[in-house]
Amino acid sequence: MKLHLISDFNLETLGHFLENDGSSPKVSVVLAPFGQVFPPLLQPSQSGTSDFAVVWTSPEKIVPAFAAALDNAAFSEDQAVSEVQQFADCLRAAQKHFRAIFVVSWTVASHHRGNGIRSLKARGPRKLLLKMNLTLANELEDCSGTYLLDGQRWTEEIGKNAYSPKLWYMTKTPFQGGVFRQAVSDLKAAISTVIGASRKLVIVDLDNTLWNGVVGDLGWENLGLGGHDYLGEAFLDFQRALKSLRNRGILLAIASKNEESVALEALSKHPEMILRPDDFSAWRINWNDKAANIAELAAELNLGLQSAVFIDDNPVERARVSEALPEVYVPEWPHDKTLFASTLRELNCFDSAYVTAEDTSRHRMYATEKQRESLRKRVSSAADWLLSLETEVAVEELNDANCPRVVQLLNKTNQMNLTTRRLAEGELRAWLRRENRRLWAFRVKDRFGDSGLTGILSLEIESGGALITDFVLSCRVMGRNVERAMVALAAEHCSALGLRKLSAVYISTRKNKPCLDFWMSSGFSYDEKESRFTWPLTRIYPSPDGIRIRRQEEPQGDAPHASEPGLADPAHASLKGITN
Amino acid sequence: MEGIKSLETPGSKGSDPGSSRFDGILKVIYESVSELNLQLPEGRRIEKSPATILFGAGGKLDSLALANFIVIAEQKLEESFGCRIDLTQDDPFSPATGHFGTIRSLATYVSKLALPEVEGSQSRSE
Repeated sequence: MKLHLISDFNLETLGHFLENDGSSPKVSVVLAPFGQVFPPLLQPSQSGTSDFAVVWTSPEKIVPAFAAALDNAAFSEDQAVSEVQQFADCLRAAQKHFRAIFVVSWTVASHHRGNGIRSLKARGPRKLLLKMNLTLANELEDCSGTYLLDGQRWTEEIGKNAYSPKLWYMTKTPFQGGVFRQAVSDLKAAISTVIGASRKLVIVDLDNTLWNGVVGDLGWENLGLGGHDYLGEAFLDFQRALKSLRNRGILLAIASKNEESVALEALSKHPEMILRPDDFSAWRINWNDKAANIAELAAELNLGLQSAVFIDDNPVERARVSEALPEVYVPEWPHDKTLFASTLRELNCFDSAYVTAEDTSRHRMYATEKQRESLRKRVSSAADWLLSLETEVAVEELNDANCPRVVQLLNKTNQMNLTTRRLAEGELRAWLRRENRRLWAFRVKDRFGDSGLTGILSLEIESGGALITDFVLSCRVMGRNVERAMVALAAEHCSALGLRKLSAVYISTRKNKPCLDFWMSSGFSYDEKESRFTWPLTRIYPSPDGIRIRRQEEPQGDAPHASEPGLADPAHASLKGITN
Repeated sequence: MEGIKSLETPGSKGSDPGSSRFDGILKVIYESVSELNLQLPEGRRIEKSPATILFGAGGKLDSLALANFIVIAEQKLEESFGCRIDLTQDDPFSPATGHFGTIRSLATYVSKLALPEVEGSQSRSE
């Protein structure tokens, strides 16, 4: 991936750190001409296209009114705000050139004391800087694909040596290497987030990890958790940090060597326990190998091992899991128990570009999945089970309300994903602007609960036929015939347009074999040479039994095709420019 | 804990190669080289050797890398010896007398500076 570094100071050292960093995703760097900010943002093609841009500027250069404030010269606060808005306008205009732009918030060196005790009062430079950063954050709030990164954190981490006057005078680089190292860590996390490579599952040990002590020896009544005890408080805080991740949509699971009944009793009965059994989406509490248990947990939750993080106080267990399951991220864990919560909060592998309703209720969805599985075991056949679920699929076009979730799903889904096309919101909207392209989002619910927006199908009308571009379904609803319902809807739509065939070309990845399996069983004919599946629209593609389709009457909000009929009403479908 | 002057071996000067003081300084410079190498492209990294050229003909460091090296080394020397050292004094880049010719010449220059005796400097530099 190519990263464009744009700055009004020398960012060459950051470029070297980024290219030397061995962590994934690997990046190559393009340095914009020294000292230029606006031209490379607005005309980046002069130096080649890049996937991402980092824009790191000095507040006194972008906002001359701030330079005046630092010099105790006359300045207008309104003028400063106006200059920030101009900068934001430029960033907005640049969005179309990059998949994402990462803008670093403004900082000043700690040796700038400003006006001392008046620095945060009216006309104080520190107060003005706060206002400028807040204005910039507000201006960029609705710019999907442009993210403001907290540069203050990087300089604080390094402390008094963050700024180097000597480096500045010698090389026009204001920061020492340590600041750039911090920046690399956050930039890599930001890119991972945008491309959907964030982790989704934390698997924790119990004894001496979630609480102090061994429950099998002490009994749940005597565990070190809460109370008037500094370690008890530390473990409570660690549980709070885990719960905070759960509230963001990260799943929690347990892998512990214990008696299951004893451990669950502790989770249920200890009065100060913050995490209760229903906070965990799955667990393996037994005496088996933890690596095997973790592999089982990931499979049960339909997640790849690359989505998992394993936390255990025991270095032997950590080493075993690291060695057996290299895709699982096993952070080095501190011996000092008071550092557990802060170590967890420092991890940058869980970042997300959006927090959607589906995220915040994800753990509940896995709980209802357990009920479905329980029902599956009780009914006589798979077909009966599918019928008994009373599944309802609601279909809608892309709109402002569902766009964040659609983009998230497109970028995070690995298994049921036909082409694994990854797009930022701006790219997706741009792709949809062509009149021969359509996209539908699918919400799925059944008698056990609402799984939320879990499917995407997009297609492009070609001469006489349509090619499915994206076929994406969340693992949480896979295998419930929603796949067939999606295909049936697309076929019905294309048939109403008078098209002759519907095709899908499968692009293999390391993770999307389940998608191939579905298409192989879909009834479409298969051309192995081209990995192309085709359905002749002279035949009706059969809708699966027992699934109720609810079509959206009109798209909501400011959708790219808001004025066009969509799948909701195929009888009226009339894509301009399509001839059959 | 021993101070920097107590690193000197009997009969040797602290600035002599092979003296404990010189070796302690060399170690700090090598740590600085390690840190610098993290930010250099693969082909431009430098060796931790007394003969490594820092500046001048045959050197691998460009001006940005040399400036970064100076700032890193100053910081690490300060951490080890407890006092701020300005390595850009005394005409440092002079072809004839500049102390940035090689790692050895830099270590020799630093070892001749009147560094204060600091408790714990030995352990900090290790």
